[in-house]
Amino acid sequence: MADELDTDIYSVRLARFQLWILLTAGVTAIVGYLFHWSFGMPFLEQPIIIKLVIVIAALIFLYNIAMTMFTNHHTLTRTTATLMGGMVMLSVMFLFGIPFVPNLSTQYYWWWWVIHLWVEGAWELIAASLVAWSLIKLTGVSRKTVEGWVFAEVALVLLTGIIGTGHHYYWIGTPHYWLVWGAIFSAAEPIPIVMMLVDAVRDLLKARTLPIVNTLGLAWLGASAFVHFMGAGVWGFGQTLPQINRWTHGTQITASHGHFAFWGAYGMLAIALMYAILPEISGRKPNGKQALSFAAFMSLNFSMIFMVMALLIAGIVQVYLQRVMGMDFLEVQSHLRIWFEVRLVAGCLFTVGCGLLLWDLFRLAARQPAAAVAGEPVPVPAI
Amino acid sequence: MHATRLTLVTATLISAVIFLGMTIDSLRQMRTRTHADQISQEVIAGKRLWQHYDCNDCHTILGIGGYYAPDVTKSYSIRGEAWLRQFLKDPARIYPAGRQMPNFHLEDSQVGALVVYLRWVSEIDTNGWPPDPQGMARQEPVGHRIFLAQHCNTCHAIGGTGGTLAPDLTHIGSQKDKDWILAQINNPRSHKLDSIMPSFAQLPETDKQGLADYLVSLK
Ligand code: HEM
Ligand code: HEM
Ligand SMILES: [Fe+2]
Repeated sequence: MADELDTDIYSVRLARFQLWILLTAGVTAIVGYLFHWSFGMPFLEQPIIIKLVIVIAALIFLYNIAMTMFTNHHTLTRTTATLMGGMVMLSVMFLFGIPFVPNLSTQYYWWWWVIHLWVEGAWELIAASLVAWSLIKLTGVSRKTVEGWVFAEVALVLLTGIIGTGHHYYWIGTPHYWLVWGAIFSAAEPIPIVMMLVDAVRDLLKARTLPIVNTLGLAWLGASAFVHFMGAGVWGFGQTLPQINRWTHGTQITASHGHFAFWGAYGMLAIALMYAILPEISGRKPNGKQALSFAAFMSLNFSMIFMVMALLIAGIVQVYLQRVMGMDFLEVQSHLRIWFEVRLVAGCLFTVGCGLLLWDLFRLAARQPAAAVAGEPVPVPAI
Repeated sequence: MHATRLTLVTATLISAVIFLGMTIDSLRQMRTRTHADQISQEVIAGKRLWQHYDCNDCHTILGIGGYYAPDVTKSYSIRGEAWLRQFLKDPARIYPAGRQMPNFHLEDSQVGALVVYLRWVSEIDTNGWPPDPQGMARQEPVGHRIFLAQHCNTCHAIGGTGGTLAPDLTHIGSQKDKDWILAQINNPRSHKLDSIMPSFAQLPETDKQGLADYLVSLK
């Protein structure tokens, strides 16, 4: 936000404070899980008290970036507006996951307002904005070109994604009409995702003629757009119609899609952003040890796709044996064993990839050695 | 371009309004579809226990949650009350082989609340989910389906598939008669005092008959 508006963040102290609150809440929650301290709902396991602390951190954050934005509104861009919209939506949706609701169906009705309206609503807005920001920054393609479709994408994400929540309201005690509404609207959800892919490809192709400095950031960005499309657009679409979802709901196919989409849309994007930002902070050249960066990129993506495919096969076998043939759940699980072993191998390789990535990122983040030795700031070369 | 944008923004706003309208209607319809009037204090206590022990971490319910353990949406209607009570009290005792559920050392009142909760869950109108199997379960003798549903196969094998903890039943029909088998189902200790097999006396009479008919047919 600050970089887009070419200004400083409203309050760095507030940002620090928020970081500490969030870190404390996060670490407490994860340590708590080890002692079975849990709210007991999937994905939203944090006990209510921790959720409230998270809300406080979110309010501080919103206040801080809103103030940054409003004090510089003359330079407000589409990218910042989209980011702000996504942030507000994200925070509001989270509230629906907090209370204990006696009726399980109703509890899950609101739960999807967090889970679905995050990944197929608020986060898509944030991602669209961050991708636009990185493309402008890293490719040198004009803002006018990069931002051209942003608002249309945002509108389409919301238009399809909001009623698209209905693809989770087929079987949880909700009325039958969701089988129609959920199917139609969620089936259109890949449209804005395809637009984002076209955006990224177009800008990356344009940038070929421009002098490019940060190829790593761009590689992750382009790959992210593609895997986002595959994981969310193709894998998601594949199970979104009720005729199919009736058989695949809550199986390893769901897990295959969840991993593919999350990794492509948000995991890889976060990594792309780190590659985009770190050299600027540390003053290092963005492309140093190419072999290490390449190894991290390949091992992470290869193992993730390996696992996603294993889960897809496991899921198809599971649906056939369990849902079609009527074999008992645990007996089916024993037939899936080999695919879980493949997943284990993929997971080990993924862990290695994480190590390589961290190594590469810390290398980029380390300040120029001279500064570290002398303990005084060295003029940072402009990128 | 401007007109397109205006159309899109308007369409988005309209879709949000439609969604809110459908939400209001859904919440109203869900009261009957979930029999909300039957959500007693005990059902709520059961839900709190379900969340307290983080059951959803391993199990799915309504198809949502962990994929490590079976979906429990219809557990009550498939297994029946007595089976569930015994199982929750001591999962390893009634289901000794394979992937095991931890024993939470629940008190009787807690088991009761969980069972009442699962009964309420099993009555939610889920638009026909999970689907009825189309395959072998349909063509097989009723007794074999009960055999599988009651997990007899975790301990006993038939024709090469099943557990090894208890005797192979592939030819049981040529060794025992129907009365003997019924007695064994009702009270395993009537034949062997230290039998570890749980009693299935709680099964409906038709199920016991079906099971016994099937087993005597295995010559
Ligand atoms: C980046 C975007 C997306 C992410 C991160 C994502 C992630 C996930 C995750 C984690 C789940 C599992 C939820 C659970 O535990 O039950 C899920 C379920 C589902 N997703 Fe997505 N998703 C995305 C986009 C999409 C899109 C665009 C579609 C449709 C075109 C879609 C269709 C579905 C469906 C139908 C389910 C339910 C599966 C079931 O019934 O078990 N998703 N998604
Ligand atoms: C290759 C490395 C990974 C391995 C081996 C792995 C393994 C697993 C396992 C065992 C589960 C539990 C599934 C169940 O309930 O039975 C799971 C769930 C999940 N993981 Fe991963 N994971 C990996 C990487 C990731 C990454 C990088 C992300 C996010 C970008 C992610 C997001 C998720 C999500 C959202 C779920 C819940 C899925 C659902 O409910 O459908 N995982 N993963
Ligand atoms: Fe969704």
